[in-house]
Amino acid sequence: MIMHRIIASLAALASLMLAMTPADAHAHLGHANPRVGSSVQTAPREVTLWFTEKLEPAFSRIEVRDASGKRVDTGKAMVDTANPVEMRIAVKPLPPGTYKVFWHVLSVDTHTTEGNFSFRVGR
Amino acid sequence: MSHSIWRVALCGLVIGFLYLDHARAHEIAGNRFFPATLAIDDPGVNDEMAFPTISAFKTGDDPSAKELDISGEFAKRITDDFAVSFEPTWTHISRPGGPNMNGASGFQNLETALKYRFSKNADHEFVASVGFNIEWGHSGAEAVGAEPVTSYTPTAFFGKGFGDLPDSMGWARPFAITGQIGYAFPNSRTTSIVDPDDGSIEIETNPDVLVWGGSLQYSMPYLKSSVKDLGLPDFFNHLIPIVEFSMQTPAGHTIDSGTLTTGTINPGVIWVGDKYQIGVEAVIPVNRESGKNVGVIGQLHFYLDDIFPNSIGRPLLASSAPAGRPTLGR
Repeated sequence: MIMHRIIASLAALASLMLAMTPADAHAHLGHANPRVGSSVQTAPREVTLWFTEKLEPAFSRIEVRDASGKRVDTGKAMVDTANPVEMRIAVKPLPPGTYKVFWHVLSVDTHTTEGNFSFRVGR
Repeated sequence: MSHSIWRVALCGLVIGFLYLDHARAHEIAGNRFFPATLAIDDPGVNDEMAFPTISAFKTGDDPSAKELDISGEFAKRITDDFAVSFEPTWTHISRPGGPNMNGASGFQNLETALKYRFSKNADHEFVASVGFNIEWGHSGAEAVGAEPVTSYTPTAFFGKGFGDLPDSMGWARPFAITGQIGYAFPNSRTTSIVDPDDGSIEIETNPDVLVWGGSLQYSMPYLKSSVKDLGLPDFFNHLIPIVEFSMQTPAGHTIDSGTLTTGTINPGVIWVGDKYQIGVEAVIPVNRESGKNVGVIGQLHFYLDDIFPNSIGRPLLASSAPAGRPTLGR
């Protein structure tokens, strides 16, 4: 009987914690276009990232570099004002090769996160 | 008979449970998210709460008894790199365990821990920290094995992700390891035990214990966000299969305890969300003295820094500037 009360109390407390969690957290990369680790036949004109939380535009950046480390983006990443979990950056015409995307973002709750991934243009 | 068995049981509990570190944390280093592990601590320093952690297993005593542990842990950052944590644990031992073989219930000694993260390298997904754990003697119930002596455990922790492997080994980049090693020593070298049958007093030596463990984990979130998005159902992209091991080896003043290493190997899986994680692992004893049969441990763990980012989820002495201009493309 005591055990049942304890377990019920724990379940209630855990449920309460889950229910009171607000919306903001670390912004992790949800998905991207081109897709992480993918090969695309047609060179993209921009790289778009979708995150798990809303971003602060002033402190969020993307860079795209080729295999030699040279930047191939046009320099300014934009956070979508209508959908602030989405950020994109235009890229120069990309010849076949492997490209690496570096991102560093600040979510609206002030957590910074960063990461990188590659995609390939052509076979 | 019952007294001698209980002495053995107490000794086993001391080595097998009280030095078993239940404190946990989570950590981010570059691309890498280190989840809070269930059986050992990880190198992270953060604001978090593990509640509840429930484990059920059969003790290594002879005869073995079923034991249920329910614990909670609250960790609070003082600065970005320094935190203090508290962990109470309630234990229920079924028959034939306990001092009179009738079972027992009560709290273990309260544990507190200080931890300082002295190194974090985003490029190499490496984190290292040092900690100092204190188990407060006399704060728990002796009937469930809580010792009357206080023990101190200076501990070193590390975590390393393999995201810096070359692209040709992309399949291995989601792997990560964590580890810890500590040395537990009591504030009193001996404990007096009164035989309930005849009132005689025996002196038992409290050993120093090497506390060590580690984990091997494969991060599906890492695979998706940093290596290759396979288009799996979202549930699978939150999973981190993991194997932990947690060991204790008496290393000093072992005249009564012996030097046998005890511990468990825990294969399981952790589901990682944005604000909490849920983990479940099997608890496989490495020898008969570590337990009988396979047990289980489960945990619900909240990331307070994500749930309450502007209040209790912030360090008490937080730096006010959230972020500078990031340096990318290293």
